[in-house]
Amino acid sequence: MGDDYSSVWSYRLKWLYTLLLVATLMLPVFYVIYISFNKNGFGAAEYVFTFEWYGEIFSDLLLMGALGNTMILSAITLVVAVPMGLIAAKFYKATQAKLLTVSLLLSPLFVPADILGSALLVFFKNLNIACATIGEWLGVSWFDTWFDLGYFSALVGLIIYTLPYIFVVILITMGRYPEQQTEAARGCGATAWQAFIQIEFPQIRAGVFSACAFAVILTFNEYTRTSLLKGGYDTITTVLISQMLNEGMSEQSYAMSSLISFIAIAVIGTIILYTLFQSDRLEREARAKAEPVMSS
Amino acid sequence: MSPVPLSRLRWQRAAGKALFLSPIVFMVLFFALPLALTVVWSVFERTMFWMKPGFTLFSYENFFFSARLENFLASMMHSSVSVVVAFVFGFPVAVFIRRRIPQVAQHRVILLFILPFMVSEIIRIFALRPVLQRTGLVNTVLLELGVITEPITAILYTPMGVIIGEVMSFLPFIVFAGFLAMEAVPKYVFEICDDLGARPHRVFIDVILPLAAPGIFAGALFIFVNGLGVALLPNILGGPGAVNAGLIATQAIAALDFPLAMAVNAIMMTTLLGLLYIGHRLFDLTRILTPIN
Repeated sequence: MGDDYSSVWSYRLKWLYTLLLVATLMLPVFYVIYISFNKNGFGAAEYVFTFEWYGEIFSDLLLMGALGNTMILSAITLVVAVPMGLIAAKFYKATQAKLLTVSLLLSPLFVPADILGSALLVFFKNLNIACATIGEWLGVSWFDTWFDLGYFSALVGLIIYTLPYIFVVILITMGRYPEQQTEAARGCGATAWQAFIQIEFPQIRAGVFSACAFAVILTFNEYTRTSLLKGGYDTITTVLISQMLNEGMSEQSYAMSSLISFIAIAVIGTIILYTLFQSDRLEREARAKAEPVMSS
Repeated sequence: MSPVPLSRLRWQRAAGKALFLSPIVFMVLFFALPLALTVVWSVFERTMFWMKPGFTLFSYENFFFSARLENFLASMMHSSVSVVVAFVFGFPVAVFIRRRIPQVAQHRVILLFILPFMVSEIIRIFALRPVLQRTGLVNTVLLELGVITEPITAILYTPMGVIIGEVMSFLPFIVFAGFLAMEAVPKYVFEICDDLGARPHRVFIDVILPLAAPGIFAGALFIFVNGLGVALLPNILGGPGAVNAGLIATQAIAALDFPLAMAVNAIMMTTLLGLLYIGHRLFDLTRILTPIN
């Protein structure tokens, strides 16, 4: 027993189980996509295929406004959090206090959304009061509203949420980069910045781009922190939640949910396929280099 | 070439250092500090719309001598069940991938489990409603097949629904953590076990579990803590009785009882740190980090 080739059927069954498990996890999403194409909406007796609801997304002002807000949030998160993750990964490589650094950067994964969200909410409210008090004291008012709940506070929550993922993805790609190349570049007279941009970055690019995709998709999908720290129902997820909990989802919202799920799946699917081909290619090249050249 | 003035060089170096430290400073300021301060805020006195500095244990009293404690303990039970179910369904996949799939293909198979995670939490959780409800997918299919004669109503708006939601949301994490953990179990170990004629369950209990324990613990802790803290799950899938710590905290915020919310946070953080400490004493959690070093 135990031989890889002795029990083909057990191997196939295990593969089947793995795929079935992924399919089960995805089932609810596919069901929502299926519902979104029904002219009669959810729970109707007959199923009539239509694209109608997708057309109506774009005339739904509530959803369109929410889409705009969400896009602003994810764009800023992307621009701030990805460089931060990159710097954090560089810092981790250089520092002596590795355990402390890595625990600080990864621990947000273990703090549930509602707990961190409410702690930050009270933190910002307190900062606000402190600012107002100091401002009154000094007789100035220009920093009174710095820490008001809004885009800034929501962004802080979102950056803390996405940073661990970005950090890990970039760190794993950096692990494959031979550090000696930077030393060689520095030895040839390049500045640290030149060595990074011209030598290291091209080799960790794939990791940085996947981190970008992660940051955008995670921000798009985030609900709890955004809702607690921004307030109001004006991002995609907060609009959807308010519909779910109150009047029930409209058909356009089913369509919208399906659309953003579909885009996320497509983006990540592309990245998975790309890394698949990329690693195949790299492997083939490595093998070609390792093999002795035969004269023909 | 004129030399760069020394003062400018020094300034540049200082700026570089500040930039280098910025993520750490950010995390300390906006993550560690607010969470540490929850302990302070939890003993503040509640006012009409806010709170004022003081020292009172009223919020803790409010938590420990009310239905909230029962709810909290019940949600710990549900979370534990979810951890076990997710482990039973998910961990064998991690073992299978490490053991049977060729090294180069392993990461690609693992990536499959990222897919569900890329769809919004709220869509995945909400989507369980049309699947599980009385007229939903599961009941329709089972009725058509003749497996049941009456729709099952115990799987939505009940603690059972919350457990299903937790397993569906967090199962990928036990696969990831298990996959990382299995790095500690080299392939030749399985070959040795085969050569010595060990039975599969002995291999699992005596070899895989002890070696992979830190990673399994990390995955399990993640599911447990999120099961306790994610308010959406009981909010959308649970019935009247299903309340977890996250929901208690957000309800307290909605009721403008900030000290109570902070007390719940402090209790959650204590639970988390306590479990981390126990896990570290038992399994030395730094072993998980070996793959990234």
